[in-house]
Amino acid sequence: MAESIFRKLRDGGEEGELAPALTIEETVASPFGLDVSGYLLTNLSSSILAGKSTSQGLVLITFSRSPSFYMQLLKQKGIVVSSSSKWIRILDCYTDPLGWIDQSSTSFSEGSSLIKLHKCVSDLKKLFSSIIEAGRDLVGAGKTRFCVAIDSVNELLRRSSMPLVSGLLTDLRSHAQISSVFWSLNTDLHQEKVTNALEYISTMKANLEPLCPSSDGQRNALENLFLVHQDFGKGRFHVRFKLRKGRVRVMSEEYHVDQSGIVFSPISSVDTVIAATKSLLPKVQFNLQLSEKERVEKEKVVLPFEHQDDGKSNEIYDGRRSLVDGKIETTPLSSMELQTDVVSSGKGGEIIYFRDSDDEHPDSDEDPDDDLDI
Amino acid sequence: MAAPNVRSISSFSRNISVVSSPQIPGLKSGPNGTAFISSGIRDLDRILGGGYPLGSLVMVMEDPEAPHHMDLLRTFMSQGLVNNQPLLYASPSKDPKGFLGTLPHPASSKEDKPTAPDPDQGESLRIAWQYRKYLENQKNAIDDYSNDFDMRKPLERQFLSGRPIDCVSLLDSSDLSIAQNHCATFLSKFPRNSSNIASIGRIAIQSFCSPLCEYSEKESDMLSFIRLLKSMLMVSNAVAIVTFPPSLLSPSSSKRLQHMADTLLSIKAIPDGDKELEKLLTGYKDINGFLNIHKVARINTQVPVILEAKTFSMSLKKRRFLALECLNQAPVDGSSGTSYGTSGSCSSKSGALDF
Repeated sequence: MAESIFRKLRDGGEEGELAPALTIEETVASPFGLDVSGYLLTNLSSSILAGKSTSQGLVLITFSRSPSFYMQLLKQKGIVVSSSSKWIRILDCYTDPLGWIDQSSTSFSEGSSLIKLHKCVSDLKKLFSSIIEAGRDLVGAGKTRFCVAIDSVNELLRRSSMPLVSGLLTDLRSHAQISSVFWSLNTDLHQEKVTNALEYISTMKANLEPLCPSSDGQRNALENLFLVHQDFGKGRFHVRFKLRKGRVRVMSEEYHVDQSGIVFSPISSVDTVIAATKSLLPKVQFNLQLSEKERVEKEKVVLPFEHQDDGKSNEIYDGRRSLVDGKIETTPLSSMELQTDVVSSGKGGEIIYFRDSDDEHPDSDEDPDDDLDI
Repeated sequence: MAAPNVRSISSFSRNISVVSSPQIPGLKSGPNGTAFISSGIRDLDRILGGGYPLGSLVMVMEDPEAPHHMDLLRTFMSQGLVNNQPLLYASPSKDPKGFLGTLPHPASSKEDKPTAPDPDQGESLRIAWQYRKYLENQKNAIDDYSNDFDMRKPLERQFLSGRPIDCVSLLDSSDLSIAQNHCATFLSKFPRNSSNIASIGRIAIQSFCSPLCEYSEKESDMLSFIRLLKSMLMVSNAVAIVTFPPSLLSPSSSKRLQHMADTLLSIKAIPDGDKELEKLLTGYKDINGFLNIHKVARINTQVPVILEAKTFSMSLKKRRFLALECLNQAPVDGSSGTSYGTSGSCSSKSGALDF
């Protein structure tokens, strides 16, 4: 649940433990990692401003969007970020990550202490020291802590190898002044072992699942497009928390993206109702219920003494369709039918029995033991 | 249904002698000319048929969501230190020595041991049961082979200082050459001669394929390291335990590593607050995770070990003692409760619950 993630990030870790870290996974079918990051950012910002959080500052490292986008986002939620804000620093790795733009030609006088241009993204040690420096700028070098948010690690992974990136993230987590870290990732852009490695070093994992499963291009394209359009902004938000004892808490809720951002709601009750009724029956290894067909057949069975005084013909239904008509040829009677002792010819209350041995001719010279081969 | 049995998994168990070799404490002779050393967990020793055989490679597949492989490593290392066996420890952290501070101390014999049946119960009730004498014999056997470890109590200094413990950090070099050299020099101290066993070594490598290690992208290097380790182990009197997270490797490399193991275990995390599992298992609240046993080492024989149960629950008895139990299915009407005894007895239906 998004609320609980936010609370975990806000509260930070305990003394002597690594800081909690969250990986937000999005896919091409549900590309809303940015919305989730924005949601967490606004909540963290408001809690820092209100003084409810253990951390006093927030360092945001932007890779996939410009800093002005985030300032706009926060402004929309009512949080004004100006150059005199003492609680947030933005490291701009979006504008010029590889240092191509000549520094003298640009003028970044506005908000220069707020936004710091970071040029050399491939050097992760330098990035780490810039982050720490920005954080210390906010909260000082003492014991106060700050949060770190990384816009997305897709760009980091593009330029550096996995060991270096995970080294950076683990160094962030183990730094004494950082209370929590979170980052987002698009799983379709990387190999599975890269995603697994990032999940390995984080304590919480959130992933976005679209409502309709992605197609393989085999269904009707038009029908697909309609479904995708309709359900695009909706889906399931699954979170896995690693608990201290070694257990995993799994939570899910539904999300819905609209103009104002992302909205989370608990899972609609359709699925839960079904689950409730299933659990009322005890789990035994035999079937306690009748299916529809079985119920209909049960109704049809006439119990032996039910209609005895009716005067009607007594037809006992034994599951064979041929008796429904009521008229039966009596001549081709197989021995099977005889042995069931069933009244079959509509004569009412009579039992007709033909012995097998009546087929034999009387006083036959055959010795039944002739078959034996001794 | 298998009858509830305190001693072993099946009612029929091969009668392996429990007398430890007189020369070396911590060594037990086993069938087919093998010798065992204890894993540090009594239940695991019993399940594996004695312990880890000398010269074998034990691999543990970690679950990224659960830290229980550390408990296996800790008990292994503590058992070695208690039995005065030299230890080599490698881990992907900058200061591996710090892990030594988390090793558990053996439980003192005065405290209640969880697996011993309570003798006082008989006194108040006067049950005429002739088998009590057999159980007591087993309990009183003095055991210098394996210990029960109290996970909350740190190992005392007497076991740590002055002992030959070598710690290596896997982050030091960009490839595995340093670790390889350490292993080679360590194992050269325990060559396997035909006659007697002088001393036994233990190697513990934690999180071998951790993404923090620079060599973690060179899968062929990692495979050849493990192959080399295994070949060195075969001619030494040592046991190595290596933990690795299989999801961080490509499927083919992960399969190869699993195949190289003599004994293969894996850890699985348990979801918290799962109502279905709670109804299905007794003692769900105490279970911390699951341990699966995929392969048991068999040396000098072609006969495999076929275990009755492959999945065990790891729990802490009295919050201190690590215990492995067969999964007990809850009674059918869904009400929880310990219908089976808490003495670690196994029940059937473990096949249906193969996680």
